[in-house]
Amino acid sequence: MTEASMHTFEIRDYLRQELMPHFMCPGCGHGIALRALLWAIYELDIDKDRLAIVSGIGCSGRVGAYIDANTMHVTHGRPLAYATGLKLARPDLEVIVITGDGDCLAIGGNHLIHACRRNLNFTCLMLNNEVYGMTGGQVSPTTTVDRFTTTTPLGNHEPGFDSCKLAAAAGAGLVGREITLQVPALKNLIKEGINHPGFAFLEIISDCTEIYGRKNQLGESPEMMLSQKASTRSDVYRNTVDQPFRPNAFETGVLARNDRAEYADNYRKHVEKTMDVLKSGD
Amino acid sequence: MRVSTSSAVEREPSPTTAAEPTNVLIVGVGGQGVITVSKVLAQLCLQNKLKVKQSEIHGMAKRGGAVFSHVRFGREVYSPTIPLGQADILLALEWAEGLRWLPYLNPETGTFISDTQQIIPPFSCRNRKRGATSNYVFRSVEQVKQHVPNSYAVDATGMAEGLGNPRAANTVLLGMLSTALDFSVDDWQAIIAQSVPPKTVEVNRQAFLLGREWIQSDAHKEEREQVEVAKPPPAPVVDDVVIDLEITEAWCKGCDICVKMCPERCLALNSSEIVELANPDACTACRLCEWLCPDFAIAVHVHKKETAIA
Repeated sequence: MTEASMHTFEIRDYLRQELMPHFMCPGCGHGIALRALLWAIYELDIDKDRLAIVSGIGCSGRVGAYIDANTMHVTHGRPLAYATGLKLARPDLEVIVITGDGDCLAIGGNHLIHACRRNLNFTCLMLNNEVYGMTGGQVSPTTTVDRFTTTTPLGNHEPGFDSCKLAAAAGAGLVGREITLQVPALKNLIKEGINHPGFAFLEIISDCTEIYGRKNQLGESPEMMLSQKASTRSDVYRNTVDQPFRPNAFETGVLARNDRAEYADNYRKHVEKTMDVLKSGD
Repeated sequence: MRVSTSSAVEREPSPTTAAEPTNVLIVGVGGQGVITVSKVLAQLCLQNKLKVKQSEIHGMAKRGGAVFSHVRFGREVYSPTIPLGQADILLALEWAEGLRWLPYLNPETGTFISDTQQIIPPFSCRNRKRGATSNYVFRSVEQVKQHVPNSYAVDATGMAEGLGNPRAANTVLLGMLSTALDFSVDDWQAIIAQSVPPKTVEVNRQAFLLGREWIQSDAHKEEREQVEVAKPPPAPVVDDVVIDLEITEAWCKGCDICVKMCPERCLALNSSEIVELANPDACTACRLCEWLCPDFAIAVHVHKKETAIA
């Protein structure tokens, strides 16, 4: 590289290069989501020492391990609980949770709704690939009906979660969804989530080509990504003539915003009030 | 048909008694009001007890796509579309669309009225290479006047903006069209008032009168001759950068995303299923491969070319 090269985002500055190439399968969308996250961190100019990544178990959980920052790889389904503790103890840190659909909605579903309810200022990225990839392709709470997985050889008969509606109903500060194909839009959404003073829940629709795609004959990852694009509708088209053509499409972009009091602020106020009562009692 | 300012092209008798129908072709892009203009005209003709046929293309145009509408009226009209070279008036709401439909205009007696507004569609920039020029057609007013002596270029959008609503540009053009057809001003105004949203009736009334006066009044004679269309932008500087596609072969897993997603098709997998730059000249440094590589194996570097010679 010469001095004349224009200064742009270099992902290698944010990766633990000794661990590369990463363990994910060819064509896995999690890598693209990781790039979008690191790009957002670069654009927000967050110091690596001030950045804390908490990730759970599964393919998505491993994503955090490649980030050259403070990372915590914790028990299955509980990254939100660990992040809550971390953020309360160290409010100066920028906490980002990376979790998967099984990790966040099945095993950690309880933690998700309570994290939404508390509205503590950190960001949760849920990488939704509709399957438990690392453990061999079992059915997950977001698997589409009639799709095949290892545990549903005759097709899945359970309806899936709309996790964004769940988070919005539970009171999350900011709820958004984006597909991995739209990298700059995804980066902007993550930036908005990090900037939001409250709990931000972002669903990133990823693709599991090797297990889920192969079992359901969804094609190679380019085909899977393009079909995701066809089945989602960007927020710029909301309430436009596009509406009647794709009535059941997943909406992307920022889906809900709830500007209510943040948990740590409330907590500090509560502590002050209690201290005042204690002092006046003396 | 009668053009008030130009005696050379007067043709008698008037549309009400002429044996042949009068053909008006209205063209523009989606969202400008082409269909509204043609509906006003067709309604007016019906009110004057003429036979009218109107045929249009719209719908797939969305906003920014091509829209046209044929209006034919007279004592008897058989075919709904205007034959090539037989339109009496070509009313264009966008400059390049007007140029595109010129073959339909009667070369001797036809009148060409066009807005100088230019709406450059995305698909006129199909070549994404740096320094590539757009395919949008640029012709000056003089060049058009050489082909069509009876032509009027007008900044209708600017005039409508002066009235406070640029969307009334189609009514300004309708006012100009009205000078070429012998219907009464009151009839025109009544139909326009019915066809536009209630809040915009007043601005459309003014826009119509402004357009009509602009063609008829001698006060605007100089203005009429001074109208110009925007010149094409100067060709951008090319060859000032070097594109360097850095591929980390050890990290590539051959997932094929970059190969299939590259808009210029300049990447390919080699015999060992590792990506390589097969067609470096086609690369435009759009960075799509870099963004979509899940394994971070591609990095696009754009270097400024060293201008100093050692």
